[in-house]
Parts: sequence; structure tokens; C-alpha cells
Amino acid sequence: MAHNFRTDVAIDWCPGCGDFGILTALTQAFTELNLDPKNLAMVSGIGCSGKTPHYINAAGMHTLHGRGIPFATGLKLANPNLKVVLTGGDGDLLSIGAGHFVAEGRRNTGITVVLFDNQVYGLTKGQAAPTMALGMQTKSLTRPNVFGQVNPVALALASGYTFVARGFSFDTKQLKEIVKRSIMHDGSSLIDVLQPCPTYNNINTMEVYRQKVYKLEDDKSWNPTVNESNVDHYEDIYQRAFVKALEMDKRIPTGVFYENNTIPSFPRRLNEHVKDYLSSPPALQAVQKNGKSLVDPANSFADKILQ
Amino acid sequence: MENVDLSIVIGGPQGGGIDTASSMISKAFTYSGYQVISVREFHSNIKGRHSYIHLRVKNSPVRSVRYPVDILVALDPDTIFEHHEDISKGTRILYDADFETSELSQARMIMRDTSRRIKEMLESTGHTLNVKGVLEYMKSKGAVPIPVSFGNVVSEAVSDGTPTRYFNTFGAAATLAVLGIDKNYVEKVIRSVFGNKEKVIGPNIKVVDAAYDYCSKNKLRIKNLPDLEMGKKMLLTGNDGSAIGKVIGGLRFQTYYPITPASDESTILEEHEELKWMEGENTNLITGGVTVVQAEDEISAINMASGAAMTGTRSATATSGPGFSLMAEAISFAGMDEIPLVVTLYQRGGPSTGLPTRNGQSDLLFALHTGHGEFPRIVISSGDVKECIEDSVRALNYAQRYQLPVIHLIDKNLANTTELVDIPDASSLKVQEPDKSDGKDSFSRFTLDTKNGISPIGFFGRDIFWLTGDEHDEKGHVTEDTWMRDRQMEKRFLKIETCEKEVPMSERAVVIGPSSADVTFMTWGSQKGLVLDVIDALGKKGIKANLLYLKMFEPFPSEFVSEVLKKAKKVIGVESNMTAQACKVIKMNTGIGIENLILKYNGRHVTEDEVMDASLRIIEKKEKVVVLKNGA
Repeated sequence: MAHNFRTDVAIDWCPGCGDFGILTALTQAFTELNLDPKNLAMVSGIGCSGKTPHYINAAGMHTLHGRGIPFATGLKLANPNLKVVLTGGDGDLLSIGAGHFVAEGRRNTGITVVLFDNQVYGLTKGQAAPTMALGMQTKSLTRPNVFGQVNPVALALASGYTFVARGFSFDTKQLKEIVKRSIMHDGSSLIDVLQPCPTYNNINTMEVYRQKVYKLEDDKSWNPTVNESNVDHYEDIYQRAFVKALEMDKRIPTGVFYENNTIPSFPRRLNEHVKDYLSSPPALQAVQKNGKSLVDPANSFADKILQ
Repeated sequence: MENVDLSIVIGGPQGGGIDTASSMISKAFTYSGYQVISVREFHSNIKGRHSYIHLRVKNSPVRSVRYPVDILVALDPDTIFEHHEDISKGTRILYDADFETSELSQARMIMRDTSRRIKEMLESTGHTLNVKGVLEYMKSKGAVPIPVSFGNVVSEAVSDGTPTRYFNTFGAAATLAVLGIDKNYVEKVIRSVFGNKEKVIGPNIKVVDAAYDYCSKNKLRIKNLPDLEMGKKMLLTGNDGSAIGKVIGGLRFQTYYPITPASDESTILEEHEELKWMEGENTNLITGGVTVVQAEDEISAINMASGAAMTGTRSATATSGPGFSLMAEAISFAGMDEIPLVVTLYQRGGPSTGLPTRNGQSDLLFALHTGHGEFPRIVISSGDVKECIEDSVRALNYAQRYQLPVIHLIDKNLANTTELVDIPDASSLKVQEPDKSDGKDSFSRFTLDTKNGISPIGFFGRDIFWLTGDEHDEKGHVTEDTWMRDRQMEKRFLKIETCEKEVPMSERAVVIGPSSADVTFMTWGSQKGLVLDVIDALGKKGIKANLLYLKMFEPFPSEFVSEVLKKAKKVIGVESNMTAQACKVIKMNTGIGIENLILKYNGRHVTEDEVMDASLRIIEKKEKVVVLKNGA
């Protein structure tokens, strides 16, 4: 029987919050992929997005502000068989955790990063987050935002994520399909999810987003995927993804911007150097027998012996 | 046989092959059957600044270095300027004759204040401000300069046009020739140091021949050290020891961000990432591997290790002061979420960037208090290479057994000291498994149903449970319930009581030497061997002394330490910091203060002679605090 991936923990997000749509898309995607809940790891940082793992019936790690990516990377590299999904906020991933966000692109570890993009720090009462536009003044701000805006899709493309997409929290059907593709992708994914914060963001509301969003896949000629067969066109596909990423004002594209299946994931890169890494990853190696170490230092460190 | 006890400094420009020269000397003595220790001092610099190795050779166990040296080998003029006070009557100074005209004002790589102090010394003693002047000064103290034209001798031996690249080999070989070490050993060393690079080995052996011929022709030999029995040994630094111990202890995942003097450990692990072992009767080697990951910063490094630890992988990170400062929040998380995590903390001179390549023991109090809130942790410290190996195994065991962050302190001096040690016997070191979940769906990660505070641990990939930095219920979900908060706090701290009951005192604090003595030294970290040497030397003067040696600072062995100190007549604390941090910890836990202190905070390694001198000042002249000053 398919698992529904929901726990009985009471959800304390505000009514009308975009987070509900993301939670629905995630659990539906897990169910449709028929994932083994023991083989799924949910990781989060701090903020409203950080609560997500508690609402999902799979092993969950609700970590430190901005540090979800390092924890997720550690889980995945110690046991690459795990499916690791990270839920993080715009402040979590692009302000306090921005260094990790960029580094994860370089690694391409193979984790799915779901960015809850509502442009505000909700849990601390509505301060401006890195995705808020310069000059915008939501109702909880004492003055217009004096910071410029980070473009998460363009940043992910520039950092090296090999699956980059955008969803809208009130289109759970599209978001669910994006999540499924990202989980099956062998490399790291960024899914930027536009969502309203009904309590603190009175400017980018559900209605505003509904009027702006359009789907990339509605253009039948849109192909964001690089495979071995079309790798010669890699630059064209990558550049088109950037052009679409920069479209953020009057209309906002959703869907998959870029998917590159020709760049090896970090576990595959490690496997080139650490013997039997994929078949015998750190988490699955024996370390002792009857309380005795399996490693003989005279063997493993033979180069240090003088005789 | 007479006691052999030789002290050597070989110095030259950073990047000029000093490490190789030192390695040659250490290995040649090892092959001849002698015990050797070498301490490495260097600047935060890639090429050019003064770097040196301080060695000591004995025909009995050697556990400290001392000044004055018997041989000073100078591969650059700076070495002669910097070490002018480290000599005494009979010290041989082996140097390139071309250095003699080098002016102090041209030695631009010497720190400005050091240069000023040398200038003042030369002026006040009426010597010229160049190498010749310094050599005259050293001669006036009884030292014997041995000028050798390195360039001419090496050029005659090899003709590839760049004699300077063989100066380190020449300096090392000449040192060994002067001490009468059999040349065959030196050739064996060349092969060992340069591996199978035949193109490099050939000319280096010619340079060794030239050095031996030169010393023989000019009758420079001062000793004739006979061959001794040599066992099968390992020549290891503290960094090596920690890496080897971790692998024995089951480490399979290590993260790091580059920092001196910690990253060498991770490099060593990466070099030895392929592990081999025998299984039962099966003579085929089974292989496995340590995964080493260079993270984007220390915050990432420690949190990656925490993530990996929750898959059941024994995980660790290694860092030094500045990196450890960044790890504070993550240590608190590991405490709250009962994550088995080892942090090897290499202490260097602080505060801030401080003395990045120099020694210090100033992070003890920080290690005891890193991170916000109250949570249990274990803090241990190592004092020599053998302990680095054993303690790394123990650190991993403690982490698994008590499910908490374990901070393992190693000071820079130990990290960069090379010692000759027996090959570790892995079968004598226990590798402990944690109490694990039963794998059932009803699993509660933080169950209160425990008598010792240890809830069976679950792993990602095997169990369903939750972790959160928030206070949590038994399943791991966020709670702010007052009753559950109290119970979880108490459960976490109960583990420390369990640890105190289970860990033997020999792993926490020991008294070395007679149980009653006139003087009781208290020390920790890399001064251990040195203080024991001082105790031997005091014994010869009729002063009976012993050592209270501390290894575990949290949980602190308060009762044991209190008993020892109550019985002690005169206590002297020896530490490489300014504020006597271990003494503070003792006072905090036992109420007993230590007023006699030997402290050093100039970043250089402590030497036996200066602690002996300081001890006598305290014992005989009733001085209270002596600050040590040795070191170039």
C-alpha cells in the first residue's frame, strides 16, 4: 500500500500560507514515486519552512538556520542510497546559508533543495528577505527595502545545480511533477517555489502571482534537458535557461529551466577515488568485529613503517 | 654504553627542503637504532622565512627537546642570526662559508623586531652587524664554527647546474657524518625519502658521498655513534597519530576546511583513504574507505559530519581555533540532538589569527564552554603521539557510547612533532558499538525509558525519527511542554554521570612517579614528556617530584584530582598559555588553587632546560610565576 507520508503533528502555519501547497506537492510526489519512507531523509533549516520535516512521515532533521545544506550533504555522502530533500526559506538558503547554497552547486551532491520563496522572514515578523525587490515596502517594514534582490534561479544556474526549476505553491500539480523529476535526477536540484505569505507579504499575494506566472512547458519547443545525445548543444540550452531566469517582472516563468544529465554527481566523483564508495558507502561499512577494529594500521599505513 | 643525548637544530628558508633534511636525519638515526624526536617551527609563509627543526637523539626513550644544541646546521644566514643564543661550549655550527659576508640589514625575512634585538646585542658586545659578527659572538661563548663551501663541494659532486637544490641533503649528510653515523644508513634514507625517483636518488647519493668525504678529509667528526638494535617502528607526527587512531576507531567520514595545523590530518586520511583488512580465515584483503570531504567552511564541515553521523557512520572533523569558533552553534546542536560527533581541535597561538603556525594551549576553557545553552560533552587531551592514536579511538568510542560531541585537544607542538612509536596494535584497542534501535516502527529516538540516560540511537536509512534543535519529545518533535523539557534535560545530563562511572581513571587523570613527593607538577598536552624529563633531572639533584597529568577535562575527575592535590606539598602548574587555564579548571571543580606557575605564550615549543631552570627558581628561590622565553 502506498504511504501517504503524513504525520499526526498539528500544523501551525497561518491559514492561507503557501507552505500548505508545497507540503501537499511533496507528499504526493513521494507517494507517486512509491518511496520507502525509511530511505527518505527530510532536512530543513529554521523558519516556517523548517517545520516541514515534522509534518512528513520519514526520517527528518530540523537543523540550524542556514545549515540545512551541510547536514543534507553529510547524509547523502555517508549514504548515497538515501533520497534527500531539503526545505528551506529564502533567508535560510540565500542569506545566512548563501555560502552553502553556492557550494552545493559546485558539489552537485544529489539533493533536492526546495526554496520557500515568499520574500519575507515570516517567523520573526516579516523582515525583508534576499528575494524581496529593492524599494518594496510590505506592511511590516518600517521603511522600503534598501537591499537589492537575489535571483535564485540564476544563482543556482551560475553555481552549478544540474536541475533548476520554479514552481508556484498554488499549482501543486505542476510542482508535484517538478519534485518527482528532481528526486529522480542524479545531481543537485533547486526548486524555487513562489508563495505568498498571507500575514506579512501584502504585495506579492496569491492573486498577483496567479496573473504573472506562465508555464515554460506550454511552449512545445521548450527543451531544458542536456543528455549525452545533445550535449553539443549544451551552451545553447544553458544560455536560454539564463535568459528565462532573468524574466521576473511582468511575467514569471515556472517549470524546468535546466536539467543536465551529463555532469557526474558528487557521489560518482568520489567513486572515482574512494574504492568501492558506491557499493560500500561509509554508512554501510563494518568497522569492528567482536569489539576489535577491522583495520590493521600496519597494512593501511605501511608507508609509515621503518625497518 | 655511555648515554647518548644530542640536540640538533637545522634551519633554513621555508620551502628550502628543511622538512626533507630533518626527515633524513631522523630516519638515519632510527635505522642506526637510536630514539629520536623532532619539533617543527615555521612561519605562516610559503617561501623564504626562517624555518627550523629541533631534534633530540638518545639511546634511551626521548620525550623532549632541549637547548643548547650540540650541532646547529644553517642552510641560510638567517638561521645563524636567529639561533645565536641556542649554543654553548663545543656547539658545532655547520654553515655555508659564503654566508659570512651576509649583512643583518640584508636579511629581510627576519622579523623587524627580531632584527632590532639582534642588532642591539651585536652592538652592545662590539661585533659587526653581519654573519661574521654573530659567529664571533658565538665563538666567544665556546661554539665552534665549521664553514664549508656548500656550493663548491656540491658542484663537484653533481653537475646539473643548480647546486642549491642539494643543500638540504648536504646539510643533513654532513650532520650525520660529523656524528659518525654509518653512511650506508644515509643512502638507505635517501631511497626511503625519494621513493622510486631514480633520477633524484642518484645525485642525492653523490651529495651524501661528497659530504662524508669532506668531513672525513677535514677531520670534522666529533662522535662515533655505534649501531644499536632497531625494531620495526613508525615515525609519526601527532597529526599522523590522530589520523591512524581515527581509522582504527572506525572513522569512515571526515570533513575539514583548510587550516593550520589541522588540515594535515585530513590530508593524511585522504592519502590513506583505501583501507584493507583481513576477515577471519579469508586471506583476501577486504577493502573499504574513508571519505574525506573539504567543505566550504568550518560551519559546513561540522554540520556535514553531524549529518553523516546520523546515518550510523563514525564521523569527525578536524580544525583549529578560528574554525572551532565558527563551529560553536553546531556543537550545541550535536549536544541537543545527541549526535555522536568527534571534533579534533588543534590548538595554536590565539587570540584571533594569533600565531597561526605556533604552539598554544589557550583553547581549553573555550572547548569546555563552546556553544550556547547547557548540554553534556566530553573534552579530552593528548600528550604524545601514542596518546593521539589511543585517544582518537577513545574519542570515537565515547561519542558512540554517550551520543554527544567529543572534543579532542591536540596542541600544535604535538601535531608537528615527529616521534618514533611502536606499530599500534589494533587488537588491543576496543571499538565500541552504540546502543541501537530495535528497528521497530514504534521507535522513539529520545525515549525517557532509560536508567543511564542513553536512549538507543536510530539512523537515517534504517529508522523513522526526527531531530530538531528545538527542545523535543521522545519522538524528536518540537515541544515546549515544561515537564518534557525537564525530563529531556535531565536525561541528557544523566549520560555524563554514566560516563563518569564507566570510564576508567587511567583515561582521565593519572599520577606518574612516586605517590608522595616534595614537588607535584600538574600539566597536560605536549609538556607531559618534558615534565617527566625534568622530574628525572630533579631526582638527580635530590628533589623528589611527581606529575599529576590531566587527560579528561569534561567530565572532570574532581575527586581524584582533589585527593592528589590535598596530599601534595608544593604544586607547580606547567602550561602553554598566559592564564593557566587548566589550573582554573581545577579550581572551578575542586576549589583548590595552584599558585606556582610555569607558563609560556610566545608560541614556541617548550624545552626541557627552561622548565628545569624555572622549576629550580620556584623550588629554591621561591618565585611564584615564571614565564618561559625560549625559541626563535
